[in-house]
Amino acid sequence: MSSTEPILEIKNLTKAYVNDGKSITVLDNISFQVPKEFLAIVGPSGCGKSTMLRIIDGLDVPTSGEVLFHGQPVTSPISKIGVIFQSFALIPWKTVLGNVEMALAMTAISKDEQLKVAKKYIQDVGLEGFETSYPKELSGGMKQRVGIARALALQPEVLLMDEPFSSLDALTAETLRREVLDIWTDQAYPTNAVIMVTHNVQEAVYMADRVLVLSGRPAKIVDDVVISLQRPRSQRDPTLYDYTDRIVSKIS
Amino acid sequence: MTEVGHSSERTPARVCPLRPPQGRRGLPPLGLVIGFVGIVSVPLVAGGFLSDIISYPDTPKIPIFAVQTLTRMTLAYLLSLGFALAYGITTAMSHRASHVLLPLLDILQSVPVLGFLPAVFIFFITVPTIGLEVASIILIFTAMVWAPTFGVIAGINAIPQDIKEASQAYGVKGLGYLRQVVLPAVFPELVWSSLLAWGGGWYLIPVEEYFAFGGKLYHLDGIGYYIAESAAGQKLAPSLFGLAILVLIIITIEELVWKPLGAKAEKYKYETVSAPQTAGPRRGRVSTNVRKYEERLVSPIFSFFRYERASLASFLEAVHLRRRFHVSEKIRLQDRMARHSVLGRIISLVIALTLIVVSIAVLRGIQFRPLGDALQVIQDNVGYLTLAFDTGASLLRILIAYLIALAWTLGAGILIARSERLSKLLIPVFDVGQSIPGTALFPIIILLIVNPFKDNPFALNLASILLLLTGMQWYLLFNIVGAVKGLPSDLLEASSAYGVRGSRFVKEILVPASYPAILIGSIQAWGGGWNATIISEYITDSNGVHTVAGLGALLQTATNYPDPYASAVVITAAILLMTSTVLAINRLVWRRLLRKAEKYKMEA
Repeated sequence: MSSTEPILEIKNLTKAYVNDGKSITVLDNISFQVPKEFLAIVGPSGCGKSTMLRIIDGLDVPTSGEVLFHGQPVTSPISKIGVIFQSFALIPWKTVLGNVEMALAMTAISKDEQLKVAKKYIQDVGLEGFETSYPKELSGGMKQRVGIARALALQPEVLLMDEPFSSLDALTAETLRREVLDIWTDQAYPTNAVIMVTHNVQEAVYMADRVLVLSGRPAKIVDDVVISLQRPRSQRDPTLYDYTDRIVSKIS
Repeated sequence: MTEVGHSSERTPARVCPLRPPQGRRGLPPLGLVIGFVGIVSVPLVAGGFLSDIISYPDTPKIPIFAVQTLTRMTLAYLLSLGFALAYGITTAMSHRASHVLLPLLDILQSVPVLGFLPAVFIFFITVPTIGLEVASIILIFTAMVWAPTFGVIAGINAIPQDIKEASQAYGVKGLGYLRQVVLPAVFPELVWSSLLAWGGGWYLIPVEEYFAFGGKLYHLDGIGYYIAESAAGQKLAPSLFGLAILVLIIITIEELVWKPLGAKAEKYKYETVSAPQTAGPRRGRVSTNVRKYEERLVSPIFSFFRYERASLASFLEAVHLRRRFHVSEKIRLQDRMARHSVLGRIISLVIALTLIVVSIAVLRGIQFRPLGDALQVIQDNVGYLTLAFDTGASLLRILIAYLIALAWTLGAGILIARSERLSKLLIPVFDVGQSIPGTALFPIIILLIVNPFKDNPFALNLASILLLLTGMQWYLLFNIVGAVKGLPSDLLEASSAYGVRGSRFVKEILVPASYPAILIGSIQAWGGGWNATIISEYITDSNGVHTVAGLGALLQTATNYPDPYASAVVITAAILLMTSTVLAINRLVWRRLLRKAEKYKMEA
């Protein structure tokens, strides 16, 4: 489902921190484009993947370079981009409904409309009946469903996912992966591009159309792998292992 | 029990900074102190105050005064340390003793110590010179001792089950166990609680170095005396100078003693990885009672304790290591009273009451009489209506001081949360501010507010409220700042990513996130406030006594009754009334709010 016109353009992104007078470069002149696709970014721990995602959402500023969304520079969070966090990042004192509604104030829709939309997406992620529950009453998988509903409720064109399944147990992670893919392939959702940061290469290969491989610090793109497999995919497909091996060899 | 941490990463390689590493953490404190002294000295010099300081007759004695004050503090601290170790180890190691010792400790430490101030002095005034010194050391001891005692108990309880079992397996017992396991485990908590103990001691220093009794002024040479005496003589410059010297001493000790010890204590800390629950009936030497006790705390309040630790830890990175375990103790004590076995509670209550009554009786050398007599004496000397009115007046003043404190500290918390630059500027300032013992400001406040307006009741009440404020505001401030600084970065990011900012951020994120901390700070502030009523309602200086109606004033007035029996009865009544008011408010207000605030705590 690739199309050529880029939704996001990442241009010459460099990020450096100054620590004890020493400058540490985390991201080194990274450029890539994201058309309508599911893009996974993999790399060793601590290489700056998450930092990059944060810059793409406008949560952090690059030292140099820029992020363009349909040609417009992104400097602060916008409602066309939704984020899913590794740690779920739910507000403990807000209910499930409150957490989803929280994001909707970014949009121009009325209060009544917000409630309707929030309820719809809570249903979509299978949390009907839990609207008035608080995050701490939910399991890890359910919490991440709230995180997903919150991001989707914005009807974002781009969905950013930062290690979305790493805090979950293996079974729950597997279920949620499939559900996210179902949502991604469902035409009813307006999301055109997904960027998922992960250190789980198998997960990246299984889910993505394309995998960017980053090197260790300072991060550079060392490989750009198109996963040309039909969807729905099977975890047991031997081709997946070939891709995985190729990527793992690049990282280590 | 997994320790709350910001990251649960298993791979140590993931050091990738999510946010730019903070540069320098504020100014180095000693530099700050020099800066503080500088700021204080500018107006002193500019106002031609310098000559005032130099010409003040006591100024050359300042080094000696400093040594005298420090000696008092050190002796009282050593006493406290000995008591804390003995009481704490007994409590934590003996199942039976802990039934009574734990709740007893709770009650004793919630008695406003300052209430004993007059009685202790009356007793020791009879012994010339040395009597006053002994009295002052005892009083400082009573202000210092509680935190280290709770610290020792908490330290022993923190010994993980596997260490206990390993000690058993390798035959480490008795003195060896004490030396190799218990003392190292206690060390970190002891360092933090000692820091608090010294804070408590400093609070008392200005009060017991200069006080009036029976129309006569008494003093002990020391920095506190220097401040009070110069203020009483209408000399603002030397009293400010004395204050600066006192702060310099306090901060220097923190820098040179507690900070290095705190750093050393880190290595004695157990990594609290979840302790296996398989221990079964064999639990080694440490009492199951204390353990059960801890387990019972697993409820709202315990979670707060964990939450607070996490948020405080991040705050302590900004400010140097301070006020760490105060929080945990106070929270635990809220719950202790309610959750301990009824029998233990009753026994401890009886012991505490007896201790209070007997100590007052002994101090005043009086005979016991039937309860009916005592009630009659209260009616004759004070009257129940007045008693109720005094309680109400104290309560109202504390409430006003509390509201003022809450307003400004919340504002400060919001500023600190929203601007990194303001936070770097304000936190060191607050840190120096809170290291000034509130009582040391008393003479200066009196000089500036009470004296010019004579005995205008409005000025007196204002002064009294200001004095209360000095004893209340820092608890709130430090809890709020701790909470604000401890806000998990993922919540901040989610808020930012989903456009929650400005007043919405304050309303939906910042205030709810600080809510538990506000409650805990409030409990501490009210405790501090009640304690401060005793010295803030009955103000003495060279012009005589200034009083406002209140329980604290009643306590002080009662010491001057000619009839020692009446005096003892009224003092006891006032202390009991104050203690029960504190406990009642804790139960009726704070505990309920704490339970309701359960949902505002961060998840571990």
